[in-house]
Amino acid sequence: MDYQNKLHVIYGDGTLGLQGSDFAYLFSCERGGLESLKIKGKEWLYREPKPTFWRATTDNDRGNGFNVKAAQWLAADYALPCQAISLKVDERKFKQVPVAPATNEFTNHEEAEKVKITFTYQTLTVPATTVKVIYKVKADGTLKVTAKYHGQAGLPELPVFGMRLIMPTMAAGYEYEGLSGETYPDRMAGGRPGTYEIQGLPVTKYLVPQENGMHMATKWVKITRQTTLNNADHDDQPFSLTFKAANGDFAFSALPYTSEELENATHQEELPPARRTVLVIAGAVRGVGGIDSWGADVEPAYHIDGTVDHKVSFVIDPGLQGNVQTH
Amino acid sequence: MEAELKWLDDPTVFRVNQIPAHSDHQAFASEAEAAGAVSSLVQSLDGKWQFIFAATPNERPANFWAPAFEGPFDEITVPSEIELSDYAQIHYINTWYPWEGQIYRRPAGTGDNPQALDDFSTAADNSVGIYRRTFDLAAGLQGKEVRIRFEGAERALYVWLNGHFVGYAEDSFTPSEFDLTPYLQSTSNVLVVEVFKHSSASWLEDQDMFRFSGLFRSVSLLAQPAIHVEDLHILPTVNDDFTSGQLALKLKLTAKEAGYLTVDVQDASQTSLLHQRLTSAATVELAPVTFEQVHLWDTDDPYLYHLVIKVYSAAGALLEVVPYDFGFRRIEINADHVIMLNNHRLIINGVNRHEWNAKTGRTITLADMHQDIATFKENNINAVRTCHYPDRLEWYQLCDQNGIYMMAENNLETHGTWQKSGTVEPSYNVPGSVDLWLPAVLDRARTNFETFKNHPAILFWSLGNESYAGEDIAAMDQYYHDHDSSRLTHYEGVIRNPAYRDRISDVESWMYLPPAGVEEYLQTADKPFLECEYMHSMGNSVGGMGSYIRLMQKYPQYAGGFIWDFIDQALLVTDPVTGQEVMRYGGDFDDRHADYEFSGDGIMFADRTPKPAMQEVKYYYGLPK
Repeated sequence: MDYQNKLHVIYGDGTLGLQGSDFAYLFSCERGGLESLKIKGKEWLYREPKPTFWRATTDNDRGNGFNVKAAQWLAADYALPCQAISLKVDERKFKQVPVAPATNEFTNHEEAEKVKITFTYQTLTVPATTVKVIYKVKADGTLKVTAKYHGQAGLPELPVFGMRLIMPTMAAGYEYEGLSGETYPDRMAGGRPGTYEIQGLPVTKYLVPQENGMHMATKWVKITRQTTLNNADHDDQPFSLTFKAANGDFAFSALPYTSEELENATHQEELPPARRTVLVIAGAVRGVGGIDSWGADVEPAYHIDGTVDHKVSFVIDPGLQGNVQTH
Repeated sequence: MEAELKWLDDPTVFRVNQIPAHSDHQAFASEAEAAGAVSSLVQSLDGKWQFIFAATPNERPANFWAPAFEGPFDEITVPSEIELSDYAQIHYINTWYPWEGQIYRRPAGTGDNPQALDDFSTAADNSVGIYRRTFDLAAGLQGKEVRIRFEGAERALYVWLNGHFVGYAEDSFTPSEFDLTPYLQSTSNVLVVEVFKHSSASWLEDQDMFRFSGLFRSVSLLAQPAIHVEDLHILPTVNDDFTSGQLALKLKLTAKEAGYLTVDVQDASQTSLLHQRLTSAATVELAPVTFEQVHLWDTDDPYLYHLVIKVYSAAGALLEVVPYDFGFRRIEINADHVIMLNNHRLIINGVNRHEWNAKTGRTITLADMHQDIATFKENNINAVRTCHYPDRLEWYQLCDQNGIYMMAENNLETHGTWQKSGTVEPSYNVPGSVDLWLPAVLDRARTNFETFKNHPAILFWSLGNESYAGEDIAAMDQYYHDHDSSRLTHYEGVIRNPAYRDRISDVESWMYLPPAGVEEYLQTADKPFLECEYMHSMGNSVGGMGSYIRLMQKYPQYAGGFIWDFIDQALLVTDPVTGQEVMRYGGDFDDRHADYEFSGDGIMFADRTPKPAMQEVKYYYGLPK
């Protein structure tokens, strides 16, 4: 069958599959997230994307005790239980994604114009709060991802809020439209707007590995890889995926490491061998500060208030080739 | 005279037979030599020396200074840091003294210790490097008076030549010169230098840095022709019209015979502006000469005039050529408490700069210096504080040539004597108001002034860093005011003891004062304001710089500041696990107490590549003035 103008919806025993002519997405109930993002035969996910709250402690964070004050967010970043998964296929709403045996009502010929799947996560904080991650998929495979953090009285300031996507292999490089260099909300005046191409996934070689590589005010970022983990994939041509800001811009970092891996190392050479791509797309980034490194706080305008809502939203368009035109 | 070990313990003994500090001019035997900047009157002693390391003073071999002493010797390169040849442990510590928790010490003259204590000369932590080499005099030095110059030695040195004691010096970061003439042979001279890691001067040198020892800067022999310019004081002044100026000179000569000298001044296009002949004497003065049009020196246009002094015998033989490039500029504080340079508001877009090389520590190369200047220019950095000691001689000349404003700091930091875990606790502070320490710190002020007084780039004499305040530092401030009307004095530490506010520092200087505090001061400023250290660039930092720059734009009394700091202090070593070349910081050498990664606060990585924050620095420092 030809599903070019419709999404092919596969109601699996524990997953929901969405397919089109050159994409296949797999949402897992067991694993609580998007398990597979396959575009033109290439897998883009190593593990399910999850909201991220932690940045590797900077020297200034350590100096002013922010890593202590915000420590709950390290646990929240490390483990994030999924509470509920709701589904909407065209106009039909499911309170829970149907799994076996409820899926016996379906066939291998289910189709839809659009699908919306919402994962609700609960943070390991006191008090807890929820984060919803909403995937909206259109018939052409366009995937809009929105993560919504629900502010909660009593929660400490956040180190960062965004989505973390881990890709199976290390990228050959990336291209983005935004500001030159590594920028943060309180250190971006010197960033020159433009389109930049970066080779590999450079880690800024701070003496003690720490948060690094953020790019503020980005319209889009295109990750290019050349390798996969698929043993039957003998193609060595580069392939790319573009993440575009859904509205306005976002901040991102593309590194071979998670914030926990960075956090664990006391020297650059203690970081594990670089083998994957960790893309963080952030809607809120805390400033780095710089007044001093032994107590001075980041300026108030560059804090992330844990008691109010935060959001990040971006679009993955499997049909996009080359550079993205933005308006 | 015999060398005495107890000098190490006595703060009042810091130079024995040392030649008084003088200007840093170079002497050449001919105009051709001056043009090529290679002098036949200088013989380098850099290179391989014989070496013996002793972990303590008691473990030194007997009679090591005797020419007949046969060792056994190792070999070491001069200049270098002893610790980086793995004889002694590498150690990084910030504010505390390196003996923290290991040896109980108090400075002489504080508490119940009115006199010098028998301490460093027998101490378990005072390692010793014994350096020995032989030399034959180069042709250009034969038959002349010859002195030896150590450009830098941490932290106390004794010198012997051919078995005779020559002299003793402290003050690790300024040149130490001794006359070798009485003991000199034309060939096979045996030179022995003993360098102690600690002396009473250790109390004055508690800078936040890796604590190294040894002959870490060049050693050379300098010959003096029969008539020699010992000291040159160039006194250019700018008149109130900021168009015309005057030039005067004061020279001190050492003369064994009668003679004369000529003084020539050319502008940058080699047009002769002045030619005078003066008779040789112990002191020679050129009375003020008016220049109707002076081309002023500043960061955007570092215009230098070329002075050449030629010294002749009575018979007209050229004995010595002394070239010196100087500039006309005028710095002052106006009635509104604004620092004015050449009648324009001074803007300091500065950095603090430790001398650093990731492989060789504080032994740096000319190439390192040139690269640092290029980085400054590329990123709109227009000023440098020589934290917290005088730098290599060449650096001052490079700053003149490239228009880098200098805050020339004395070699003084006594952080651990007054600040304990962040609190002000000056119960055993030195120099404080302790008489025993006054001569040593005044000598440091004098040496800094006498050596570098001719550099237009120096706008501020900085009395030192983080040493609290008392009568002794007030006397240093007074020394500069008594001797130099062409510069301002700077000292931050007086904010810790405001009783001395009227007597110390022409400017109000703070470090790391947040923007709100800066603005609070500026609203009622009665001195010009600057931050001698701000924007602490440790790791991923330099956020919020805009708040300072906006205040600077709003208040003319805010002259700017110096980012802390220019380059990470980290050491490149081979990792035994991975075989990679990796950067190491404090605590990575089992050194305790350490202050760990606090050694790395640069806007440059230790390998001299810029940190990402540099683009922010370049942006803010490049904004229209």
